[in-house]
Amino acid sequence: MASIQLDGLSFRYPGAEEYTLAPLSLNVPDGTAFALLGASGAGKTTLLNLLSGLLAPTSGRIFFGDDDVSYVAGRQRNVAQVFQFPVLYESLSVAENLAFPLRARKFDPLWIDERVRHIAADLAITEQLPFVAADLSLFQKQLVAIGRALVRPDVSVVLLDEPLTAVEPRMKWRLRQTLRRVQEELAVTMIYVTHDQTEALTFADQVAVMADGGLLQVGTPEQIYATPSCEFVGYFIGSPGMNFVDIERLESSLEVSVGASRVGFRPEWALLKPQGQGQLAGTVESIQLAGTDSGAATGVVRLDTAAGRVAVRGKLNVAVGDHVGIELRQHLCFSAQGDLVTAEYD
Amino acid sequence: MTSLGRRPWLSVSRWLLVCYCIYLLLPLYWLASIALQSNADITGEFALLPQNPTLANFAEIWRNPVWFSAFINSLNYVVLNTLISIAVAVPAAYVFSRYRFLGDRQLFFWLLTNRMAPPAVFLLPFFQLYSAVGLFDTPLAVALAHCLFTVPLSVWILEGFMSAVPTELDDMARIDGHSFGFFFMRIFVPVNRGAIGVTLFFCFMFSWVELLLARTLTGSAAKPIVVTMTRTVSASGLDWGVLAAAGVLTVIPGIVVVWFVRKHLVKGFALGRVS
Amino acid sequence: MTKPYNNKAWLGVLPVLLIVAFSGVVPLMTVVNYSVQDILDFNSRFFVGFQWYSETLQDPRFVEAFVRQLGFSASVLIIEIPLGLMLARGMPREGISASLMLVLLAIPLLIPWNVVGTIWQLYARSDIGLLGVTLNALGLGFNYTANPLHAWITLLAMDIWHWTSLVALLAFAGLTSVPAAYYQAAELDGASKWQVFRYVELPRLKGVLVIAVLLRLMDSFMIYTEPFVLTGGGPGNATTFLSQHLATMAVGQFDLGPAAAFSVIYFLFILLFCWVFYSSVVREND
Repeated sequence: MASIQLDGLSFRYPGAEEYTLAPLSLNVPDGTAFALLGASGAGKTTLLNLLSGLLAPTSGRIFFGDDDVSYVAGRQRNVAQVFQFPVLYESLSVAENLAFPLRARKFDPLWIDERVRHIAADLAITEQLPFVAADLSLFQKQLVAIGRALVRPDVSVVLLDEPLTAVEPRMKWRLRQTLRRVQEELAVTMIYVTHDQTEALTFADQVAVMADGGLLQVGTPEQIYATPSCEFVGYFIGSPGMNFVDIERLESSLEVSVGASRVGFRPEWALLKPQGQGQLAGTVESIQLAGTDSGAATGVVRLDTAAGRVAVRGKLNVAVGDHVGIELRQHLCFSAQGDLVTAEYD
Repeated sequence: MTSLGRRPWLSVSRWLLVCYCIYLLLPLYWLASIALQSNADITGEFALLPQNPTLANFAEIWRNPVWFSAFINSLNYVVLNTLISIAVAVPAAYVFSRYRFLGDRQLFFWLLTNRMAPPAVFLLPFFQLYSAVGLFDTPLAVALAHCLFTVPLSVWILEGFMSAVPTELDDMARIDGHSFGFFFMRIFVPVNRGAIGVTLFFCFMFSWVELLLARTLTGSAAKPIVVTMTRTVSASGLDWGVLAAAGVLTVIPGIVVVWFVRKHLVKGFALGRVS
Repeated sequence: MTKPYNNKAWLGVLPVLLIVAFSGVVPLMTVVNYSVQDILDFNSRFFVGFQWYSETLQDPRFVEAFVRQLGFSASVLIIEIPLGLMLARGMPREGISASLMLVLLAIPLLIPWNVVGTIWQLYARSDIGLLGVTLNALGLGFNYTANPLHAWITLLAMDIWHWTSLVALLAFAGLTSVPAAYYQAAELDGASKWQVFRYVELPRLKGVLVIAVLLRLMDSFMIYTEPFVLTGGGPGNATTFLSQHLATMAVGQFDLGPAAAFSVIYFLFILLFCWVFYSSVVREND
């Protein structure tokens, strides 16, 4: 296990004008569960390929612990990867699959046997050990793929590229749980790439949000959620994401920071009030039921206001067409460029 | 892609490939070389390069009605065969890919076994059959005879490709109110352009190259180029130059066809089944 | 895709059925019909049962042609399958070189078979052929028209030149279906090149290799034109294989009965080989 340090790392295809991955620096402490979150094209797979040695950096350095591995071949980096679909040696048995990386590196056969059993027990696939890999279900196959990634004792980091993609929907949460448990038990540094924020926020100790080849914010899930560094992150995280309104359009005053031009609030930070109250006035456009709270229906209410459309999460005690007020219990301020502004209030 | 640890350019397989390419090209070069020499040069002093390259042999073919018509005859039945094969195979492949029906698997397999029939077995009956229906010595006879082999292969390849076309396409067309005929001709067939191109390649690959049946079913009227070439003996012995020139001319259509379908070629050899 | 059951689908296969029946079934029935009759001329024919079959199977010329055929087909398979496989592994996957390589390899497959024979005639002859003259200049006394061994080697070289591309292209199609992730994973596992071939590529290639072997087995067993043009079956009978033997009987001698019996035996052998190979290697259907 090792910590990972990225120094000004970037990637651009030869002859391309734009960076696929803009220069970024990152520090992943040893034993962290780290998530790279972003939409397709955000650059997260490129970053993963740089870490695994499939691509060579255009600039910058990669350190595994104290070793500079920027230009070291993949097979010498002690990296393991789990892919979107189970990548196994289909004609071999589960046990042979798990043993493969160890046999390739010439570990003692008895020790290999022991290690394979240990990992299989960790992942609860001991019963499948003698079976041919091709005969397993997708869920089991992916477990074997994860096992193969974990089997080497000297592995610096395990890279996971959207590993839940191919698994049956009702098994996704189980795979997520297994991954989290194994990661904690073995204290393996894991870098998990996904476009699904639920996966990222529930799995990781630290989340990095990426877009268009750039790193937007790194922090704990709570930090990302409560204090997004820019409007994009605020909007991207949460379902529905953060609402943004121009300060001028507010009906009544609100404490805002110096240099702020927009205010952001999460749907759950707002409260519906009778018409005339609150900082915004709106008309209910649609109601989406999500569940109940002490017998009362709750969900997302979408409203049309003078400042644009907003979503509010809470009790569904209104009807479509109602005119209501929206009170912002909590809010954040953003500059004209979309960055978070936290300077002292005006 | 800049990647580390990629397969080196100079691996054993690469060397083998390079050697094999040379092995492939040498006889073709020699064919072209002979085609560009006069008979005197050919049988005279041996040389690696044509000493006095000339296009006389090609001119001879162009002028000589026997050779020229032979080429036309060959192209005739190849085109006919390809048209017929594709025309009957497309509906059959559509049906195999979209529906199950009584005896479908057996039918499919039986079709494939026809590909396994040695053409020599059919010499006798074909001769009599086509004479009996008055088709002897016509391009249509050869085209139909070749269908025995090209149709099953066409169905096999087309079915593989068509299975990968989602049925949502059919549903959407029906919902849009189009008749089946409209859907089939204007939507489905164009979507399968690549597959049809590959099938064309394989039909061509059989029909253009075959000799035995083409010879048996033709006399003088529809004599194809393959027969004319095997009978080229002039008073002064074998006319190597003209023969070689004719050979060159028969290789060129092949190159043209391959070049046009090259993008679909790999998928075609996977017989449409990408997985 | 779950396919609905609909017997009206038979309309779609009707054209195919008609054509193949006309081209195949009817003639085949005729052949079987002739094979059990003694046909002296158009109006006098006598039923003779399996007489022609037993005569053919005991005819020494048939047996010789059959043995030669087996030897030829076996040699062809032993060389072309591994060679094609190795070539496929060396072929570039992308870029203009990939396209050029595909086209180059496909060319021999599209040359009329008699032209293949002609090309090798011009190439291997000891008087005007590049290969022939070169070999003789090296003192090897090469002459495929007189020496049976030389004739065999030339025929094999010609068949390899002609058909290895088919195996290579089939194998290439199989190889390109392997997702890049498998190679990546093997690289990170520290797998050797041999292990990559054995555990990543070979399992994927099984399907296409079966097809390649079937096609080459069948086609080499039916080969007629190329040896006919190159050696005419000679010197003597050295390179007379089954198809040529049959063609001589059927066309030259007009002995319909025995020729028909031979045809049936020929066809059955091919079906038998294919069935044995197919069922022993293929466990699942697609």
